[in-house]
Amino acid sequence: MNYFQLFGIELSFDVDLSQLSQTYQTLQKAVHPDKFAHASAQEQLLAVQKSAQINDGYQTLKQPLERAKYLLTLRGVVLPDEQQSFSDNSFLMRQMELRERLAEIRFSDDIDSALADAQKVLTQEYQVHFEQMRAQINANNADENAKASENLRKLTFYHKLNIEVERLEESLFDD
Amino acid sequence: MALLQIAEPGQSTVPHEHRLAAGIDLGTTNSLIASVQSGTASTLSDHQGGDILPSIVSYQEDSILVGEAAKSLSVSDASNTIVSAKRLIGRSLSDIQSKYPSLPYQFCGGENYPEILTRQGKINPVEVSAEILKNLNQRAEKALGGDLTGVVVTVPAHFDDAQRQSTKDAAKLAGVNVLRLLNEPTAAAVAYGLDSGQEGVIAIYDLGGGTFDISILRLNRGVFEVLATGGDAALGGDDFDVAVAEYLADQVGLSRPISPSLERQLMQQGCYAKEQLTTQASVEIELALDNQQQHTINLTKETFDCLVASLVKKTLRACRRSLKDAGITAQEVIEVVMVGGSTRVPLVRSEVETFFNQKPLTSIDPDKVVAIGAAIQADILAGNKPDSEMLLLDVTPLSLGLETMGGLVEKVIPRNTTIPVAKAQEFTTFKDGQTAMAVHVLQGERELVDHCRSLARFELRGIPAMTAGAAHIRVTFKVDADGLLSVSAMEKSTGVESSIEVKPSFGLDDGKIATMLKDSMSHAKADIDARMLKEQQVEAARVIESIQAAMLQDSHLLVVDEVSNIEQAIKFLADRSQSEDADAIEAAIKRLDKATEIFAERRMDSSISKALSGQSVDKL
Repeated sequence: MNYFQLFGIELSFDVDLSQLSQTYQTLQKAVHPDKFAHASAQEQLLAVQKSAQINDGYQTLKQPLERAKYLLTLRGVVLPDEQQSFSDNSFLMRQMELRERLAEIRFSDDIDSALADAQKVLTQEYQVHFEQMRAQINANNADENAKASENLRKLTFYHKLNIEVERLEESLFDD
Repeated sequence: MALLQIAEPGQSTVPHEHRLAAGIDLGTTNSLIASVQSGTASTLSDHQGGDILPSIVSYQEDSILVGEAAKSLSVSDASNTIVSAKRLIGRSLSDIQSKYPSLPYQFCGGENYPEILTRQGKINPVEVSAEILKNLNQRAEKALGGDLTGVVVTVPAHFDDAQRQSTKDAAKLAGVNVLRLLNEPTAAAVAYGLDSGQEGVIAIYDLGGGTFDISILRLNRGVFEVLATGGDAALGGDDFDVAVAEYLADQVGLSRPISPSLERQLMQQGCYAKEQLTTQASVEIELALDNQQQHTINLTKETFDCLVASLVKKTLRACRRSLKDAGITAQEVIEVVMVGGSTRVPLVRSEVETFFNQKPLTSIDPDKVVAIGAAIQADILAGNKPDSEMLLLDVTPLSLGLETMGGLVEKVIPRNTTIPVAKAQEFTTFKDGQTAMAVHVLQGERELVDHCRSLARFELRGIPAMTAGAAHIRVTFKVDADGLLSVSAMEKSTGVESSIEVKPSFGLDDGKIATMLKDSMSHAKADIDARMLKEQQVEAARVIESIQAAMLQDSHLLVVDEVSNIEQAIKFLADRSQSEDADAIEAAIKRLDKATEIFAERRMDSSISKALSGQSVDKL
């Protein structure tokens, strides 16, 4: 049973998040170990397993990049691993530019606005790739799936940049 | 075909007796026990009518004193009277000595197994906590009139794995059955949440004697979903006392070392000043030095606020981080709940109010709210409220990971992941022909191993010799509903499986607990045998009851053969549990467990599909 089936939803990239959250809570109400605190050891063990599985399913379906990865894997697309070299040189150049930009924020005169500007750029570029990926996944054919997985990889780069921005923010404002 | 029976709504299909259960707030400074009686949760008092038990244990020549009796000896007999053991539990010796350099105890034992030398010999912090738990358990059994089925023990949300494990060990040592370890802020949310029936995001600000927690929760249809939690396992009201004590020492020109009793006196006066300044503008403090000199020092609220301002600020930093982790802004928080005695400090209240831009809730006594929430949860876990809609979804407070090449930490389970959780990650060998791998389990947010808490080390041996990078070592992390971790590893590329379960290398291992239990029994062997037999008999009765209840409800999931198979195993266990042989009963329990394996799985699957279909009916 895959996670889409587990949550009783259609096998699609577009997920109704509030519905997903309701289903998640309903499922946990049925299987959470707290509901089996007085049951047999057998049932307690199963409850922990099922509950962990539902937690994992929820996290996978809730986060768009995880969901994309999961869905493409279900379709049999082999996703390139992180070490594999990247063919899109202009994208790599862009990533290096963005990285440099983040590194310079610390030294700018107006840190707040430099940070906000950088975040805005990251969000915009993320959105462009995200919408492309979404359309490609929804097209659901071998060609588009391959393109989607390429975009997913790019989005992962942006995701990492965002984490760096957060770290930067923390280090700048946590006196 | 016989008609299926359906019970009246709101009534359980299986009649059962009310099981005695309690919630224990095992605090740094004070501990409490509470229970639900006729539908209401309230704290239980001792024979003198007080419900607060000071978390102090004093080791005297021929007795162990707990609570008020021990407190009165904390200055005169400081080195034999253990105060705030919760700050020591599950920590390493160097950790304790660097964090609390002026404790009046003589430490001994190893780095991972610190003990305190008292006149009754070496005492582990786990044993100290066990004495407190024993005392509270006895109080509850007296007040409720019977043995407890189990208790819920609360821990700071920020406690790491070793501290949680040690707390559970203390309960084991005290002979108390732990239904669940519950995070303190979550317990407080339960105490408040049931009263107001609110929906939305709430923040719990919990500043206790020795620990600080901030938890952000979403309440929805009886579900308490923790979105993020943060804090500091070594920041609390005690630190306010220390700040004042240092100020006092400075004012009278003290230079260390000083006597243990003066050390304790400074702390007590620091605490006294803090408490007085919650209602007064200034306070006079008396000090009697080791050379009999008397001093009177005046401390104003302004000075006190300056002394503790950086500590309060530190808590707000944790609040900001947790809100961010939760993806919530301070404006979205509809309610802020204050928990812990230290939230009585006016500066704390005003700073929290400014941060969240609203007046925090203090309507339930901040000293009692955690125990009350724990009691409500205990009542449900004991099975007294089978139709309860309440569900707590908690998270891991700290990231869990493994050491990789270069002393770096690879995170396997990030902080604020909902538990229970199971996650696997694959690693590979570094050298050609490598046949063993050292697995080092760590907890913390930093990237370097040296900055994280080391939880356990083990070695995976017997990896077939291959070229570097060819082996696939799958390491699985599992965190259960108590927040406790177990780790296993296996090499899978060749199909050779070899796995190991680990427990934290800090604190007590199972062997030590068993020895301590034996030591604590007066008539050794006979006592232990009697206790083991009773435990197995109780367990047998519990298992039979739960399976019979399940059969009554869901026997339609079984074919005739399966039913008779289970019934046979039940009968076998019922017969065995009349015997005097604990091992035979245990084996019979295992046999029944085995016989019900498929039944349990089918029940679980059926409850999942029932839950889903119930929901789609709701939608129509």
